[in-house]
Parts: sequence; C-alpha cells; structure tokens
Amino acid sequence: MAAAAGGDSDGDSEELVLTPAQLIHSLEQAWLNEKFAPELLESKPEVIECVVEQLDHMEANLKRGKRGDLKVSVHHMEIERIRYVLSSYLRCRLVKIEKFFPHILEKEKSRAEGEPSILSPEEFAFAKEYMANTEAYLKNVALKHMPPNLQKVSLLKSVPKPNLDSFVFLRVLERQENILVEPETDEQREYAINLEEGSQHLIRYRTVAPLVASGAVQLI
Amino acid sequence: MEPAEVEFLAEKELVTIVPNFSLDRIHLIGGDLGPFNPGLPVEVPVWLAINLKQRQKCRLIPPEWMDVGKLEEIRDQERKEDTFTPMPSPYYMELTKLLLNYASDNIPRADEIRTLVKDTWDTRMAKLRLSADSFVRQQEAHAKLDNLTLLEINTTGTFLTQALDHMYKLRNNLQPGESSHSQDF
Repeated sequence: MAAAAGGDSDGDSEELVLTPAQLIHSLEQAWLNEKFAPELLESKPEVIECVVEQLDHMEANLKRGKRGDLKVSVHHMEIERIRYVLSSYLRCRLVKIEKFFPHILEKEKSRAEGEPSILSPEEFAFAKEYMANTEAYLKNVALKHMPPNLQKVSLLKSVPKPNLDSFVFLRVLERQENILVEPETDEQREYAINLEEGSQHLIRYRTVAPLVASGAVQLI
Repeated sequence: MEPAEVEFLAEKELVTIVPNFSLDRIHLIGGDLGPFNPGLPVEVPVWLAINLKQRQKCRLIPPEWMDVGKLEEIRDQERKEDTFTPMPSPYYMELTKLLLNYASDNIPRADEIRTLVKDTWDTRMAKLRLSADSFVRQQEAHAKLDNLTLLEINTTGTFLTQALDHMYKLRNNLQPGESSHSQDF
C-alpha cells in the first residue's frame, strides 16, 4: 500500500522530482493562490496529473483491501480530503474562465512560444466552446433582431477584465528585496519594502503578481 | 474563503493521541503515520485524531499550549500590547474549537480554556478592526500583518479587499479624460 516515493510518476518534462507529500503541498499552494488571485494563474498540468495518478493508484489498492478495515477507512478519508482540494481548485479555475473568457483566450492567442500556458488543453477547449456558445446565444436572442449596423458586439470590450489592482493578503516564502509599493493618493510617494520570509502582508496584486507565479509568496 | 475551509487547513496540524488499538505503519499519500500501539502516544493529523476519538479508539492529549496558565499569560500579553503578539499555534482558534468539541473529556479545565481563548480572540479582533479602519482612512498602500492567524484574516479579508477595490474604482473615476473604459472591471 506504499505510495510511490520519489515521484517517478512525474511527466517526462519535469526535472524536479517531488515526493507525494510535496506534491500534495504544491496542490494546496496552487489551490490557495488560485482562490485569492484576481486573474487566472498558470495551469499546473504536472501537479494535476500526478495527483490524479496518486489518487487512482491508492483507490485501486484499497479495492483489493478488506472491507471495514481501519487502514482502508483512514486511506479513504485522506483520498476524500485530497479530492476535495483538487475539485475546488479546478472549479475555481473554471469560474474564472467563465468570467473572463474573451481576455483569457486573447492572452492565450498572443502567448509567445515557450511561455507557459494558463490553460490546460481541456480548459482551452472549454473556453473556446463557451465563447462560441455565448456568441451564438447573443446573436440568436438579440443581435439578429438589431438594425444591420449594430449587429456586432465585441466581447473583448464588453466583458470586464480581471482587476489586477485588487488587494490580496500574502505570506512570504522566499525573502524579496525592494518591492516597490505604488502610492494610493497623489500626496503619497512610492516607497520600497523588503519582504521577510514568513511575514504576512496586505498589498495590491499587481505588484506581487510575478512573485505569485514564481512561488516566492503564497496568497492567503 | 469559508471558515470551514480554514478549519480544513487547520485539520492538517499534528496532535498527540494515545490509541487503544494496534496497527502497523500506514503509508498515506501525504506521509507515513504510526505504528499504533495501545497506550503509546503517537502523532497524527487532527482530522484523523477526531475521527478515531469519535470511534472511541483513542484518547487525545491536548497540545502543551492548551493549558490555563499559559493561556492566561497569552491573554494578558495580548491585552497589554498594541500590536499583535505571536500565537502559540497558527490555528489556535480552530484547534481549540475542534478539540474542545470532540475531546473535552481529555482536556482538563475545558471551560476555562474556552473562555481564555475567546477573550484572546476578542482582543485580537478588536485590534484588527482598529487597524483595518486606520488602513482605509489613511489610504495606505501596504500593511504588514505578521502574527495574524488565517482565521482572523479571513473574518474581514473578503469584505476588506472588496471595499478597497470599490474605493479604488471610485477614486480612479474621479479623474476624467482617462482613456480607461468604464467597464474595465
């Protein structure tokens, strides 16, 4: 029943080998970051794939075990907990995709080669379908009844963009120097702060967005 | 974030139990636990401890900070200082609630502990309200909140961030002639 240590269930492109415990920790970090970030964050296909693999592996093991055994129920409880985090994470992403779909698709279209994608292939298909359905819906319900010169609507302009200036709470995982804090009012001037490891802050998302992506801070 | 979700995170904390059954090591995905021998203390995450306790398979040992003397000290320290003092556990409130709900028979002077923790919580929440108020009033751009636990941040977090966002939008729209679309966000 031992879970595979060493994480050789990682995808072929991952040089970093994670233990299952570290994998679950990464999933939880990704979950919290996605929950509190105003925009859709990078997709983490390796983490998702490995977690699903671990869960399936454990489920298969449990099927072979005795019924009503204490060990089986303990493993089961853990599986339910991990599954909850995974579902919540994926659901959070879908909510954001539905909310900001034109901007996300635009970002994906203009993404440079080699830059990581913010959508997994399934999410990308979902977003495209959602966009096509919305366009078809608007057309059939309203647009085709409008005068000919008003029959176009730009979803990119009419759907609100994610607000990157919203405030977020964060905990610092890696020390950062000289983060510039933008002033709120005209009388204030910008100043730089150092983020000590383990400290917690309240700050605008825009300033720390790259730190969230790199894993140097954790949103809480 | 729902308080239930903060409790979900708190349930990962380790707590000591004394099992009355025996079981060899379990290899969970998140790490190894056990082996379990009757009468010998072992550390398990809170979610498992509560479950075993409910099945009457163990006795819970309160963490060493869950003691009347210690908590009185913490409460007095919190009342003295203007800023937030470090708490014995980043999940002190959730752990107190969980352990006192399910295992109060294993914890001496449970009612006093409950009152002490609640007093500390109330003092800290009052400080949090004051500091959130001054943050908004002075339109600060940044705040450092070390020593605040997740549950405390969560009580005002969503409301505070949404209120700050609204204020930002109102402030920005005061400046006419900017090419920002009114439906940007």
